[in-house]
This record gives sequence, C-alpha cells and structure tokens, in this order.
Amino acid sequence: MSLLKVEGLSTHFITRDIDNQRRVARALTDVNFALDTGRVLGIIGETGAGKSLTAQSICGLLKPPARIVGGRVTFDGQELTSMSPDALNRLRGSQIALVVQNPRSSLDPLARVGDQLVRIHQAHGRHSRAASRKRALDMLAAVGIPDPEGRARAWPHELSGGMAQRVLIAMALMNDPRLLIADEPTTGLDVTVQAQILDLLRNLVQRFGMAMMIITHDLGVVAHYCDEVAVMFAGTIVESGPVKRIFSAPGHPYTRALIGATPERRRVGQGGAQIGGEPPDLYNLPSGCPVRLRCAYATEVCASPPPERVMTPGHVVRCHHAGDLDARGSVA
Amino acid sequence: MTGAQPVLSVRGLTKQFAVGGGRLLTAVNKVDLDIRPGETVGMVGESGSGKSTFGRAVLRLTEPTEGSIRFGGQDITHISQRQLRPLRREMQMVFQDPWSALNPRLSIGDLITEPIKLHLNLGRSERADRAEALARRVRLSRDFLRRTPSGLSGGQLQRVCIARAIATSPKLLVLDEPTSSLDLSVRAGILDLLAEIRDETQTAMLFISHDLSTIRAISDRIVVLYLGAVVEEAGAEALFETPAHPYSKALLSAHLPADPEVKLARHQLEGEVPSPINLPSGCSFHTRCPVAIGACKTTVPQPVAVGGTEHFARCIRIQGGATQTARSETA
Amino acid sequence: MSQVVQGEAATAPRPGRRVLNRMIGLFRMSPVAAVGLLIILFFAVLAVFAPWLMPYDPIQSHPGRVLQPPSAEHWFGTDANGMDVFSRVIYGARYGFGIAIPAVLLALAIGVPVGLIAGYKGGYLDEFLMRIFDGLRVFPSIILALAVVAATGQSLFNVIIVLGLLDAPVFARLVRAEVLAQRNSVFVESSVAAGNPTWRTMFVHLLPNSIQGAMAQTAVRAAWAVRISATLAFLGVGIQVPTPEWGAMIRQGAEVMVSGQWWVAVFPGLALIMLVFGLNLLGDGMQDVMDPRRRQQK
Ligand SMILES: Nc1ncnc2c1ncn2[C@@H]1O[C@H](COP(=O)(O)OP(=O)(O)O)[C@@H](O)[C@H]1O
Ligand SMILES: Nc1ncnc2c1ncn2[C@@H]1O[C@H](COP(=O)(O)OP(=O)(O)O)[C@@H](O)[C@H]1O
Ligand code: SF4
Ligand SMILES: [Mg+2]
Ligand SMILES: [Mg+2]
Repeated sequence: MSLLKVEGLSTHFITRDIDNQRRVARALTDVNFALDTGRVLGIIGETGAGKSLTAQSICGLLKPPARIVGGRVTFDGQELTSMSPDALNRLRGSQIALVVQNPRSSLDPLARVGDQLVRIHQAHGRHSRAASRKRALDMLAAVGIPDPEGRARAWPHELSGGMAQRVLIAMALMNDPRLLIADEPTTGLDVTVQAQILDLLRNLVQRFGMAMMIITHDLGVVAHYCDEVAVMFAGTIVESGPVKRIFSAPGHPYTRALIGATPERRRVGQGGAQIGGEPPDLYNLPSGCPVRLRCAYATEVCASPPPERVMTPGHVVRCHHAGDLDARGSVA
Repeated sequence: MTGAQPVLSVRGLTKQFAVGGGRLLTAVNKVDLDIRPGETVGMVGESGSGKSTFGRAVLRLTEPTEGSIRFGGQDITHISQRQLRPLRREMQMVFQDPWSALNPRLSIGDLITEPIKLHLNLGRSERADRAEALARRVRLSRDFLRRTPSGLSGGQLQRVCIARAIATSPKLLVLDEPTSSLDLSVRAGILDLLAEIRDETQTAMLFISHDLSTIRAISDRIVVLYLGAVVEEAGAEALFETPAHPYSKALLSAHLPADPEVKLARHQLEGEVPSPINLPSGCSFHTRCPVAIGACKTTVPQPVAVGGTEHFARCIRIQGGATQTARSETA
Repeated sequence: MSQVVQGEAATAPRPGRRVLNRMIGLFRMSPVAAVGLLIILFFAVLAVFAPWLMPYDPIQSHPGRVLQPPSAEHWFGTDANGMDVFSRVIYGARYGFGIAIPAVLLALAIGVPVGLIAGYKGGYLDEFLMRIFDGLRVFPSIILALAVVAATGQSLFNVIIVLGLLDAPVFARLVRAEVLAQRNSVFVESSVAAGNPTWRTMFVHLLPNSIQGAMAQTAVRAAWAVRISATLAFLGVGIQVPTPEWGAMIRQGAEVMVSGQWWVAVFPGLALIMLVFGLNLLGDGMQDVMDPRRRQQK
C-alpha cells in the first residue's frame, strides 16, 4: 500500500465579487497520484498550475476562500480531509513535514535558529530539553551546516539563502517525518547551491527512509532527482509516471511541448511544438480537457473530460488521443 | 563578422557602490568586452555576480566608477544624460521582470509607441502603423494595443517589452535575464523571437542570464562572471565542451540539463559566494576553488589564452597558453 | 466529503438588481466606505436640489416670526432674523461642498507637483521645499487660517485659497513618500532607458503611479476643509450671516442658546457633524481599499 494516496482531490476558491455574485475558481480538479516510501515524486507545472495548492490541500493548510470540495487524501491508511484540525496539526510537523516555498518568510525572525528547532521538537512529543537540543544539533549537522553549535545560536537574518533553506530542511526533519514535501526548495538559489541542497535531500530520503514530494518548475530538477513525475496544468495532472519513461516517451501533448521546448531538445528558431499562450482562467475553465485551447492535437471529443489512460504500468496520461499522437501528427 | 568594428567596446569597467560604514561593494570589477554587429554575447554568473550592474552601466543607467565605454566608436563614458538621450535610440534594454518593467497606467499601444515618439519624427498615423507592425512582429494581435499591462501574462508582457526595445531599430540590445521569470512553455517562443530579430536586423546583443541552457542556446560567445570579474571567455560551444576555469567547470557541472539520460559530472563547490564588500585577495575564487594553491591568494590572474581563438581564462593554474596581458586600449 | 460544486454560468441580472448587487458588493468590500458614501450622497442631493427641497427662501427674513421653535410650518424653527432654519440647513450643503471641493483641488494642484519634484530630484531642492512646507505646519492650521483670512478679507474666495494652501503640504508629503519608493523601480529605469527626458519620466511615468495615496486622502482632507471653514465662520472670520453657511449659523445660534433657543445652532451643527463624519468614513474606507496592507490587517 502506498504511503500517500490522493484520489479525486478537488479544491475550489469560492468568493463573491463586487456585484455580490458567487464566483468559483476551480483550482484543483480530480487530482490523483500515489507515493511510496523511499521514492521521490516531482510535481511540475507552470506558475499557477496548482502545485503549491496541492501540497496545502494535502497538509490541511488551506485558508478560506480555498476549500476542498471533493476527493480523499490517504496517508498511511488514515483519511486526512475529514480529520479534525487538531489531529491533522499533530500529524503535520511530525509525520508529514512541509518545506514551504519561501525559506525566509517561514522562519520566526525573533527566535534563534536552535530554539526554533527545539520548539518544533517539543511541540510534537515528550522530550527533555537536552534531548531536543541534541537532536537539533544532529539535524543541523545532517543538512550539512558547518559549525552546528554556532549556527544554532544565529538569528534567521544572519543566514544566507542557502543556509536558511538548510535550516528549514533541518526543521522538517526534527520529528522523523515519513513524508517530506518540499515546495520549490531551490527556486531563487544559485545553481551551485541548488546542487548541494538537492543532493542533500536525495540522500536524506535514503538515509531516513522517507518519501519525498518535490514541487518545481525546473525540468532539470525532475530529470535528475525524481523517480516519478506528475505534470500539472490548470489544476489537473495531465500525465504522471516514471521519470525516464516520461522524458523518453511523453504521452500527453502538453508534456511533449514542455519537454520539446527545452534548449536541450530544440535549436533556437526551430519553431514547432510549442504550447505558449495563456494559462486558462480558473473561473472559466473550458469544458473537457483544460489544455484543449492550446493543444495542437485537439478535436471535438476533447470538449468532454478526457479519461485517464494507462500507457504502461504506472504511466498514466489524461488525454483522448493518448497513444495515437504520432499517428495524428500535429494539426498546427 | 570578425573584423567588423565593435558596436560596443568596454575596457576596465568597474562599478563600486558605497555601502554603510564607508565600505565599498565592488559589483563589477575591471571588465573588458567587445560586441560586434549581429553578435550575441552571453553573460553568465550566479546571482550577485554583477551581471545586471554591468548591463546597466553599459547603458549609463548607473554611473561607472572606472573604465571606459565606447558605443559605435564614440566614448560615452562621461557624456551628459542630455547628450546621451538621442543615443538611446541606438541602444535599448529589456529587463528581467516584465511585470514591473512596464508602466501599469499606460496602454500597450502607448508603451510601444513611446520610443518612436521620442526618437523618430513620425506623424500620428505613421506611428500607429508602426506600433501595429511592431505588435505583429512580436506576435501580439492588435487587440492588445488598447489593453493595459495588468491583464497580460508574463510572456505577453515580455513581448511588449521587446517591441518597445526594438521600436527604433537599435544597434545594441541589452537583455537582462529576459526569460528567467517566464514559464518554461513560453521561454522558447521568446528566445526564437529574439534570434529572429537578431538575424533580420544584425542587432548586437548582450544576453545576460544565470541559466546555462538558455545562454548556450542563444549565444555566439559567452563570458563567465564571478564576483564582478570575467573568469572565462569563450565561444559558446568551446565553453561547454572544454571549460578551462575551475569555476566554469563547477558551474557547468552543477547545471541540470532537462534530460535524465545525461550523466552529471560532479565538481561540486563547497560553501557559497563570498561577500563582494571585501573581495578575497589574489584570485577572488580561491576561497572555494578545488585546485587552489598558495599563490592564488596573492596573485591576481591575468587572461590566459586557452586552446582555440578567443578563448581566455583567468587562472594561474592553467597551462598551455602564453600568458596574455590584458588587451590594450583600442583608440 | 461533499459533492463537487459545479462552476455556475453567470446569469445576467436585471438592471435594477445590478445596482442593488453593486451596492451590496461594495458594502461587503468596505462597509465603512459604503455608509460614508451614502451620507455624502444624501448631502449632495440636498445641495443639488436645494431650490426644490427648501420650503422657504433661505435668506428671506420674516420679521414677525423671529426665533420660533420647531413646528409644522418651520420644521427646524426660525432664527433671530425670522429665517427658516430648515431651508438654511439645506442650502448650507452647497457651501460645504462649494468650499471643500475647490480647496482640495487647489491643495492637490500645488502639493502634488511639489511632492513629485522634491521626491524625484532629491538633494537640496527636496530639503528646501520640505522645509518651507514644514514651516507652514508648525503653526496650528486654524490659527494660521484665522490670521490670513483676517488679513486678506472675509470672502469665500479667500477662504478657499487659504485652505488650499494650508493643505498642500499634506499632499506633497504623501506624493513625495510614494515617489521615493517608486523612483528606483524598474519601469522608471525602463523609461529612462527608452530615452525619456526627465520631465516626461516624472509626469508621465512616475506621477500616475505615485498619486494613489494622495487620492485616498482627498475625502479626509475635504472633511478637514469643511470643518475649518465652519470654524472660521463660527469665529467670525470667513463667511458671515445672513449667508446660509453652517458655521455662521452655529455662531448666530450660539448667542441665543443660553436663552433656550437651541434649534438655531443644533440643526446646522448636526448637519456639519454628519457631513464631516461621512467624508471621514469614506476616506477611511478609501484608504482601506487602496492600501492592501491596511486591508490585510483588518
Ligand atoms: N484567493 C484566491 N482566489 C482565487 N484563486 C486563487 C486564490 N489564491 C490562489 N489562487 C489560484 O490558485 C492557483 C494555484 O496556485 P498555486 O498552487 O500557488 O500555483 P503553483 O504553486 O503551481 O504556482 C493559481 O492559479 C492561483 O491563481
Ligand atoms: N544600488 C545598489 N547599491 C548597493 N549594492 C548594489 C546595488 N545594485 C547592486 N548591488 C550589489 O552589487 C552586486 C551585483 O549585483 P547585480 O548586478 O544585481 O548581480 P546579478 O545581476 O549578477 O545578480 C550584488 O552584490 C548587489 O547586492
Ligand atoms: S485531450 Fe485533446 S486537447 Fe487535451 S491534450 Fe489530449 S489531444 Fe490535446
Ligand atoms: Mg507555488
Ligand atoms: Mg540580475
């Protein structure tokens, strides 16, 4: 059984506008995926595709007007969407740890780094202060921070971007989580530091026997650090499966365009497979396949919701024309 | 192309900022650079390496501390902003973040027309025609001309910025990370557009980016910046195939190509970039350099020719080329 | 978990409903502003339709009906000249707006360019301009206004000029602060890079993006102008009886208050308080709506 299983998850923003009309933004629609211990899942998509929102929905961190309107999230056999906020709070920070997008904003500026680590340890179990302190130093060392003793006494503003990110990861590790969700852990960091952080995360998964979800918009991160990938577009997972398989045989027009548009795969000025244009309006999603207005393969059937098609075991494509894209050729 | 008069010729450009306590931050450190017509020079480096400051200094959007800038043969290092204004027709810039680079209160049409109004003596209807042609050139439909920036996506906004920059057919375009803040799926379109414009108009380009894939795809020649100084300069292929400087090697090896089959060769660097306020002595890379020796702390490395033409690196540990002194000032 | 909610197609409501919905929507966004707006609209209707709403001529005296208490003929009673207080209160709305609006416009016309130039040019010019304006604000504005109006003559025109001048520094400060924040933004740099002369960068690019703060303050400053002009009239400088101006009416009423004829002062007083209150509410709401930081704190 999978450690994390997300089935049919739908999250909407329900608001009223200046004319007092009810407005619904369908930010996540029928999201399905599963993640096993020891595996790294990459979630990739454009800005606004719903990647962070997926993490927040899983962790019960949605703020109104966002609301889960359907689906189930099962973690280790427990259903999370119907769990009481208290129970969910206990789970989050211990069994499930989230490293949020902006490291600076998630550290308390008024507390020393070490104290913040101790605080989170004490909040989730009965430990002596000394034990917590020891654990904090161990974790700072585990994330590759030189001089953990000294760093534990530092204030958050004294940390560089890379250091702050490491501290956040150490914090996530304090209570031996079984699932680590890292939301854009290296966005905004330099490539040399990015490599250090990603190597670290990858090693931690093996060392501590965790499962990890990396949210990113960088195909390079997916290619080299993930086992599986889920490609997200307008709140839908359009394709998911093993990384190597998806890079070598992408089954969805959007994934194809995405991978085909990388400088590695095409020469500048070559034209062809592009899927530029506007992300669709979540308040007014097209019927059927959300990609259809930008898709070169779209036909009339695409106005009805595409089925999830299993290409090879574990490789799922949500497209009416999955499997016969090559035969059809691009219309554009 | 080689042999043509450079459009831009920069010598020893240095920019220091006064930061609190009478200290100086060296953002750009004695950079030499030539760009010829039709040529695209990529400038790559990690954040804070001085790329933006260099680009802005070249266009005199920030005042250089030392060095000289010649544009089309004219020394523009010290001329007044008023004298500079007509020259701006010939040198334009595209900024990193298209969301904040456009005045949110003006229509797209007004934004595109502005440089034409400022520099070209055209009637109202000719201006409107030209704006439409520019919109078409960057593949925006004419409906956009009446809209304001607020409803547009990043890719569309960047197209507007590009239309604005090419409105007066400049000889030099400085592009400061023009695709970095855009989504993957629209980057390719913007790169294509820039390449087309370059090939049609022979515009010289300084393409600044921290993204190695992008810079490789668009550049003829690449300079690698570390702490404000050029550590290596080479043809695009040569740099990626045979990087010479230890920093270039580390940078390239940290890069993650979007292809799981490519094996990563690891020259991982320890630590992070030191502060530009107190630059390390000698070679500024010596604090992180995996092959540093004692002399690196004291000797400022000069450009050394490496292998092929126009391939230089500044590292005292590189052999195989006669030590070349800094290129002399061209009169 | 509940069933998935389907996105509804927006059904176009009838026009009457649309206005109502817009009001409800505005009310949700900022109840304070909506109430303020309603009060101001009420007085605006009084001002515009005064000739039709007034039962009597506001400056027609009825010597036989001096200081009559409120009654069916004279709802708010009559004053010492036998003028109908109800009609005078209605007509007074015209003076409230007639002073506040031009005074605020004048203050904007002076304060905004000064703030813009000071903020963009910086240095000595900034020092100089801001010192002058600080100097103006050292004296309590009411005393300064008193002195100037007393010296230049008690006309409506003078009152407006003095209020506008006194208020200009407020707008200058607001615009200057915003310009300082925006001066180094990318679109300003982009306008310089495009080859804009300095004046165009300032007025075409910087100004429209630096004026929201000042605009959000206009209602509050209008409230101030209404208050100060009434105070001036009350103190006997400014506009004089028999002009139906609220401050002047209060002054006139105060003299007979002690002898029990409260209505002469109380009704214009209430009108004044309500209009100032309404303007302040709208001003508060405007600042909330225009300043996301303030909105989030609530
Ligand atoms: N309050 C809100 N009302 C409506 N839509 C919202 C709101 N907040 C966020 N969204 C939308 O939710 C979508 C998902 O956002 P997010 O998960 O943060 O995207 P990602 O992390 O993939 O960039 C975005 O398209 C965003 O516009
Ligand atoms: N206006 C300024 N004042 C002080 N320091 C600055 C200023 N602009 C840039 N810097 C500093 O100069 C260095 C180079 O910055 P920048 O040119 O923006 O680098 P890059 O574009 O390569 O990321 C950085 O250390 C930055 O903090
Ligand atoms: S379902 Fe249709 S529109 Fe959607 S991706 Fe497949 S072919 Fe394109
Ligand atoms: Mg996100
Ligand atoms: Mg930069």
